[in-house]
Amino acid sequence: MSPVAYIAAGIRTPFAKAGGALRGCDAVELCRAALASLLARTGLDPAELDEVVVGCVGQPAEAANLARVAALRAGVPEAVPAFTVQRNCASGLEAVTQAADRVIAGRGGAFLVAGVESMSGYPLHFGRRAADKFAALAKARGPRARLAALARFRPADFAPRSALLLGLTDPVCGLGMGQTAELLAREWQIDREAQDAFALRSHERATAARDFLAGEITPVFPAGFPPSTHDDGVRPEQSLTALGRLRPVFDRAQGTVTAGNASQLTDGAVALLVLGEEALRRSGLEPLGRVVAHTYAGCDPARMGLGPLHAVARLAARGGLELDDADVIELNEAFAAQVLACRAAARSADFARAQLHRSRPLGDFPDEKLNVNGGAIALGHPVGASGARLVLTALRELKRRAARRALVTLCVGGGQGAALWLEAP
Amino acid sequence: MNILRHIDPADGVAVLTFDRPGSSANVLDEAVLRELDEHLAVLEATPGLRGVLLRGAKPTIFIAGADLHALAEGGLSPARLAPVIDLGHAVFERLARLPVPSVAAIHGACLGGGLELALACDWRAASDSAATKLGLPETGLGILPAWGGCVRLPPLIGLPAALSLIVSGRRLAAAQAARAGLVDAVAHEEYLEAAARRLLARGKRPAPRRRLVHLAPLRAFVALRARVAVAARTHGHYPAPPRAVEVCVAALGKSHEAGFALEKAALLELAATSAARHLMGIFLGRERIKKSVADPRPAPPRVAAVVGAGVMGAGIAWWLAAHRVPVRLQDVSPEALGRGLETIRRLAAEAVRHRALTPVEGRAALDRIIPIDADTPLRGVDWVIEAAAEKLDVKRAIFRRLEARVAPDAILATNTSALSIDAIADGLAHPGRVVGLHFFNPVHRMPLVEIVRGPRTAAAAVDSARRLVLALDKLPVVARDRPGFLVNRVLIPGLVEAVHLFREGVPVAEIDRALEDFGLPMGPLRLADEVGLDIASHVARDLAERLPHLAAPGDTLERLIAHGWLGKKSGRGFYTHPTRGKAKPNPGLRALRLAPENPASRAAAPDRAEIVDCVVLVMVNEAARCLDEGVVDDADDLDLAMVLGTGWAPFRGGPLHHADALGAAPLVARLDALAAGGRPHLEPCAALRARAAQGRTFFPASPKTP
Repeated sequence: MSPVAYIAAGIRTPFAKAGGALRGCDAVELCRAALASLLARTGLDPAELDEVVVGCVGQPAEAANLARVAALRAGVPEAVPAFTVQRNCASGLEAVTQAADRVIAGRGGAFLVAGVESMSGYPLHFGRRAADKFAALAKARGPRARLAALARFRPADFAPRSALLLGLTDPVCGLGMGQTAELLAREWQIDREAQDAFALRSHERATAARDFLAGEITPVFPAGFPPSTHDDGVRPEQSLTALGRLRPVFDRAQGTVTAGNASQLTDGAVALLVLGEEALRRSGLEPLGRVVAHTYAGCDPARMGLGPLHAVARLAARGGLELDDADVIELNEAFAAQVLACRAAARSADFARAQLHRSRPLGDFPDEKLNVNGGAIALGHPVGASGARLVLTALRELKRRAARRALVTLCVGGGQGAALWLEAP
Repeated sequence: MNILRHIDPADGVAVLTFDRPGSSANVLDEAVLRELDEHLAVLEATPGLRGVLLRGAKPTIFIAGADLHALAEGGLSPARLAPVIDLGHAVFERLARLPVPSVAAIHGACLGGGLELALACDWRAASDSAATKLGLPETGLGILPAWGGCVRLPPLIGLPAALSLIVSGRRLAAAQAARAGLVDAVAHEEYLEAAARRLLARGKRPAPRRRLVHLAPLRAFVALRARVAVAARTHGHYPAPPRAVEVCVAALGKSHEAGFALEKAALLELAATSAARHLMGIFLGRERIKKSVADPRPAPPRVAAVVGAGVMGAGIAWWLAAHRVPVRLQDVSPEALGRGLETIRRLAAEAVRHRALTPVEGRAALDRIIPIDADTPLRGVDWVIEAAAEKLDVKRAIFRRLEARVAPDAILATNTSALSIDAIADGLAHPGRVVGLHFFNPVHRMPLVEIVRGPRTAAAAVDSARRLVLALDKLPVVARDRPGFLVNRVLIPGLVEAVHLFREGVPVAEIDRALEDFGLPMGPLRLADEVGLDIASHVARDLAERLPHLAAPGDTLERLIAHGWLGKKSGRGFYTHPTRGKAKPNPGLRALRLAPENPASRAAAPDRAEIVDCVVLVMVNEAARCLDEGVVDDADDLDLAMVLGTGWAPFRGGPLHHADALGAAPLVARLDALAAGGRPHLEPCAALRARAAQGRTFFPASPKTP
């Protein structure tokens, strides 16, 4: 029998709206807080770790290997190596699967894993043209040369480019992430009302699950700010009327995707402990669950929102589990339109044949299994952290239901899908 | 052999390496000086020599100074001291007059005689390590630099800077020393010798430039300013700093020999003062305590938990983290934790501002503090320090829950200053693991920690506590689990007495000034304001209830508290405390119309001597009582604890040394008189009466000049 990878424990920071409660923390600090809190709670001696893996989309320039910096600052000994992974919105999940793969391959038994994003902390860039001129200025010798170098600057050179906006645009198909959602909405006839209703559902469920979600949160104490103790993107008072008043963002004329029915820009970090059998026994921890199978699949970048279906189908084709086998499903809510398009396409036999190379439709995402504690529309989507958050929430929900299997799946900017099957321990 | 000599054939530089065998410190004593002298004699006769480089072989100490133990054992008599002073002068001068250039490559502490040796070299290079500190701490011991420090430093860095360094005893980091002109090059430890060799290439040091400030009129002005500043700080109790000023000023412009004679005369005179004897005694007492544990290497905890993030909890957590101990900080709510962490961040910023830590070290220390809640298991935590509210039921509940969360061998400490350790430990499965660890406020400044041993506390827990305290660079004194332990037990009666005097009509400023002139670092009413009147009142009341011989504080404090005057924290108490500027006696006190509590019993208003006697002697009386009760093991510990814990007149050596200085019989007579004059609680205790009757002292008679 091949080794088993357990998710032994997990914790996360509150998810806070970008520019809000956690703006006093950079990505390293958020990640450090989550890692340190998990180590303290589990009592695990960090010297027993084999490696630290962190997923992060926008790594801060001042912490080139964020995982290493955060791990050392969280008290992980210098002898334990660390690396950072990037797979856009699935970066947090990538960290989990990297660790699980190593355990299953027998290459280590104890991994500290995290996903983190500080969307407050995204920098503004100078363009390449401006950068070249700065370089020329730095090289210039003598006042005359320096003056000449200065004279080459134009006001436009100083217009900053937002790293956040750049990151949310697909450089291959040229579409922004919101525009890919608009495309899906048109193709699968997801109207504005359906999207808003789904967004409302996310807020309602997250509101109802507030106490449940509190169980996975550790407070964060940003210097000079009040402590952050709970997810602040959830709106208990959200209504269809309020959602209906919002203007479309990505296609102002005919669009349907608004700030209200898309996921939020958020700061947050999630830490998980991935252990093999032996390390688990030594730790004395009661595991949350174990990893069964996972995959990543590629698809049309312009329709990246359907990525989950490609990934789930791929696992099924390997002789694995079907959508119906899931007791709990966490499908990341990048956009309400995208989740609903996934639902529609999963029921479509045509889509199954043409895109998934299978004879029958993928199946259903039943309401009572899908995102039962709300999703990124209400809780927010700190891109590098979300994948790890879905694992944590799914396993806790599985435990609460005393059910067997959970599916975690995400669409990934750039045209990919991620899927991970988990089981009760 | 203390000094190794090696002559590098490549560049003709002689390297003298100080490496005292079997010790982590280099010190200078007669033997080392003679050895150095012999080396210098050889070097003088060595042909082709290009330079001499002095270095230390210890990881954190270049040369820590003169061997005070050896000196103190001789009783500081002129007969013992004079030859040692002469020898140092002669050897250092021989070094200075070498025909080839000399340089000190300083890594680690370079203090007192160590710095005077370095000053005799032409050049000084220092490593930028945090261990490297340069200073002349002699005046803090009641003496002065007398191996040429007063002679060589002023011409080198200028009279004002030299006086400031000598009078304050301040230690400079390498960069500060370079700015002052004390060292000529700063380098990383690895490159220190290379930097020192480069200095040798400059040849002998040219004569120091003439400074404007050394011209007679300006020099007189500088000296005057230094004298005034010294007088303001010492209240005339410390003879060494003003004497050092005189010597430095007088020696400037004279020959070395004339300067050395001045140093020697001053040292012999100062060494005979009681202040020097007491200050030296305190220094030796600190050293004794540092060596009091069986295992000389203090073992810090692997992980410590601090329960309670208030002022004390935050201060303790920060101090642990700054000493590389990972800390779990627990409180009842995120808000309470948040406030505690902000306090800790302020402490970190202060430490970085004062260069106690680099910014990176400061952040690393902050990172070591992980906030947790009461449900977090404490696996791997081997020390818990509780600093929650001073309520017995609160603490008991905390300890009961703690016992379920920690490993069986973890030690549970309480930072209580008033509650009984034994009562807190009651009901636990293992009461032997409970020990008191009484830090003083502010934690990062106060050098003393009282370790409180309850009747059931295990010896291993006390020993472990001692090692923890030493690992935190604090000094432990073990006290028994009696009300107030030691320091508060002795201090609070003095404070209560001051409140009584105030109630009798003596103005606030008069009481405090009298006691500051006596030698307390802060007047008792000012201290009450600092502590907080609510806390002072609570502690005093609690002590008087549990120890009936003590005077109750009366209702004075309560009436101030009723006005919302809680002392410094509320901006008003006995004083008004403006956010900026000096505190002034609270003018509102007059409006309170506090009537004297028993006006009939005394005829005249107490004079200055009576004010001092009431406050000081009640503390002396209580100290004697504590010693006889066995609150601490010996008189040395008691006086040391009072000096370190409260700053109790260090030049007097502490309350029991003061009792000896007064003489037991006159002391008892004075107490009897005060008691008869309407202050019954000043009745001398049995311990004092017995000593008066038998003519005994608390300490063996100090070795006097033969």
